[in-house]
Amino acid sequence: MDRLKKNTKIIFGIFCGLFVSLIIYLSYFTAYERDRLIQSSYNRRLWEQEDKVLRGTIYDARGRPLADTVIEGNVKKRIYPGGEAFGPLIGYSDRRFGRAGLEDALNGELLGVTEKDPMVLLRQKILGVADRGNDVYLTIDSQLQSTAYSLFRGRRGALAALDPNTGAVLALVSSPGYDASNLQNKWDGLLNNPDKPLINRATQGLYPPGSAFKIITLAAALCSHPEIEKKIYYTPGYVKINGRIIRDYENLWPGDYDLNTAFRYSSNTVFIQIGQEAGADNLFSMAEAFGFNANLDTDIPVATSTMPRPPSLGGDVELAEDSIGQGKILATPLQMARVALVIASGGRLVTPYVIQKIVTPLGLEKSMHKAEAPRIVLEKTVADKIKALMVDVVKSGTGKPANINGITVAGKTGSAENPHGKTHAWFVGFAPAEDPKIAVAAVVENAGGGGANAGPIVREVMLKYLNSLQNK
Amino acid sequence: MELKMEAIYNKTISATALIGFIAFFLLSLKTVPFSPAPLYGAIAFSTIMFAGYFLTNHILYGQDPALFILSSFISQLGLIMLYRINPAAFSKQINWYALGVLAYILSSAIIKYWVKVKINPYFFLAATLVLLAMPLLFGVERGGSRSWIQLANYSFQPSELAKITFVLFLAEKLRSGKIESILRLSGEILAVTILLMMARDLGGAMLFYMTALAIVFAATSRMDIAAAGLAAAGTAAVFGYYLFGHVRIRVEAWLNPWQDVPGRGYQIVQSLFAIAQGGFFGTGLGMGHPEYIPAVATDFIFSGFSEEFGFMGAAALIVVYFLLVYRGIKISLSAKESFLALAALGIATMFGLQIFTIIGGVIKLIPMTGVTLPFMSYGGSSMVMSFISLGILNGIRQSGRGEEDDG
Repeated sequence: MDRLKKNTKIIFGIFCGLFVSLIIYLSYFTAYERDRLIQSSYNRRLWEQEDKVLRGTIYDARGRPLADTVIEGNVKKRIYPGGEAFGPLIGYSDRRFGRAGLEDALNGELLGVTEKDPMVLLRQKILGVADRGNDVYLTIDSQLQSTAYSLFRGRRGALAALDPNTGAVLALVSSPGYDASNLQNKWDGLLNNPDKPLINRATQGLYPPGSAFKIITLAAALCSHPEIEKKIYYTPGYVKINGRIIRDYENLWPGDYDLNTAFRYSSNTVFIQIGQEAGADNLFSMAEAFGFNANLDTDIPVATSTMPRPPSLGGDVELAEDSIGQGKILATPLQMARVALVIASGGRLVTPYVIQKIVTPLGLEKSMHKAEAPRIVLEKTVADKIKALMVDVVKSGTGKPANINGITVAGKTGSAENPHGKTHAWFVGFAPAEDPKIAVAAVVENAGGGGANAGPIVREVMLKYLNSLQNK
Repeated sequence: MELKMEAIYNKTISATALIGFIAFFLLSLKTVPFSPAPLYGAIAFSTIMFAGYFLTNHILYGQDPALFILSSFISQLGLIMLYRINPAAFSKQINWYALGVLAYILSSAIIKYWVKVKINPYFFLAATLVLLAMPLLFGVERGGSRSWIQLANYSFQPSELAKITFVLFLAEKLRSGKIESILRLSGEILAVTILLMMARDLGGAMLFYMTALAIVFAATSRMDIAAAGLAAAGTAAVFGYYLFGHVRIRVEAWLNPWQDVPGRGYQIVQSLFAIAQGGFFGTGLGMGHPEYIPAVATDFIFSGFSEEFGFMGAAALIVVYFLLVYRGIKISLSAKESFLALAALGIATMFGLQIFTIIGGVIKLIPMTGVTLPFMSYGGSSMVMSFISLGILNGIRQSGRGEEDDG
């Protein structure tokens, strides 16, 4: 009997453990898992909340509303005063069509369901603001966004503009866009439009970066073989690797090129030689240092830009294609703006963000931006050498269309071959080169040469933004 | 001392009744236009509860009043949730509660005398096997498991009764503390477990098996058997995962319900949404959405409760269940004879494991298996049989006390 009692106590001890584990898990669940579940788009309770709550307003950096709720009669209506330029970025929230864009990513905040401090909830109830969601302030400059959007003139493409010092997103344009107000009248048209206006190309569009990727090839080569700066490369105008012939653009003559000329006129054949000198491993790790192959953990969903590791044996063709940004490399316009940012900031990589702050109905401000130490991914001396070369591209190379009188612009063009027709026109750059205030990447799909088609868009965006800084 | 305890019990049962009146009054306020109907429910419940309390206190000498108070407290919370979900289910369930109370008193009284009669353990084993085989032969399938028998308008889950006969079988067989033939005993336990698996009642199979392990370990102090039993269960689980589709579905729904939210993950995800919505303090009675949770009246009643009563309410409920298990263990420790100690331990273990299995399942701590939450889930078999089990515990306690007082 004594042993039986002892065993019974052991079993009771196990039960103590089991029941305590239930309570501990439930505490953990309530404290940590809760937020994610409440905001899940599968959660039907959110729509109930939507009926009771006045959804918060989304403002741009200067307090201009971009998504607002108005009450017409007794019906709440979501309006989008920004119009077409903002559709893919802001998205929509509609009971019938679901949610997209920032309206989706910020749904929990806009409905105010993320607040879990019971004291705050109680205060909100007492002050009568419990039925209001939080307001969101973006880093976007809505005038810059509208200007940039109109520069696309309806062509398919995208643009991302960043503040090189902080990573704040100044404009995030996807063209063609759409006006999310009165969605029910145009839904079918938007859905069936072959240009796919519902997609945010700036964050979700994955394009071959073409020659704009040569910035990374150059960085890899300069880091591993600094002597190439003084080297002279001969090219017959084409290069043949394992039977595959890659040519230079038509207006490039065969002959001797130094690094500056090769970059300025974007010689593919010379950059294939430079890529070979850097080697597949260096090129690959430099691309990762610039942010490729890493999921961008920021406040909006961004597709991951990828560069597969070139095989170390028999990967000559792949390495050659990678060196000039063709082949299997895919990048979002936002990622390419980050590439410009790294050079502009003297070798620092920062995470871009679009949310400046969130303001609760009680007036409390929450910062969503996690302060992070910028990662140094490139030596400043190397970044400055590349910057000097990029300045020459705009001064007297392929990037001339982006030239601005009185302001030094640094840039790189790209004309990315793709299976859908004419080349995608790329331009990535920043200005002013001495003290960069804005870093931009733009792509115009199937438009042809990068300098002529994407260059002027970037030029106007830079000019507009730098002027607005002057007038402030 | 006794008087002081009695005063505490009296206060506790009055507080329970008060909680009921407040809760049902809130439900009255929630109905538009105002309807006193929920309050009639409160009156009906407290009448039955007080009658049961009075009777147990006066008929059953040397009983443990806490068992009745705790179980009634939980039953009332279940009834409040049921009224909230579906008033028609409430009306049926309150009858089951009344029947349960009656069964509790009867089983308490009968067991007190019956324990003196020695019964061959194989009678209990035969009863267990017959009960578990019945639904396989002429049962109906419900919620994926074939463990129900339909009789006219009533359906009945024989495995609920088998829980009691199975515990009594093991307690009787192992009262000497020695195993005659380990092969034979394992065969008998496995036969019971396999019958439950054939009915696709995985939760039930696990409950019976683990309870058997607990009783065998307590009776024989054989750590090696307990370890081997656990290892065998682990191996069987791995084989089950690869061999049976329905096992795999449950495990996958547990590991990653987000892979298929509209399909296999649906139940558990809706349950988690409800608990998440409740947060620390709950949405408040009548303010949640139990209708979004599938099987909320039966398997998932804990999730519905958590949504409206919050983490605080849910944790408190777990503590109340724990107290019930604790009382059972205490009765086992105070028993004068090893058969009674083992039977009480078996019943307490069955309760404890069942509570852990279903609560752990709906909060996604462990894979979800469809067992009922005793005293709370909607259903007559579970309610009445839970009360009978509790009555047996009470009877064991009385038999111990009786001798003490007589001697």
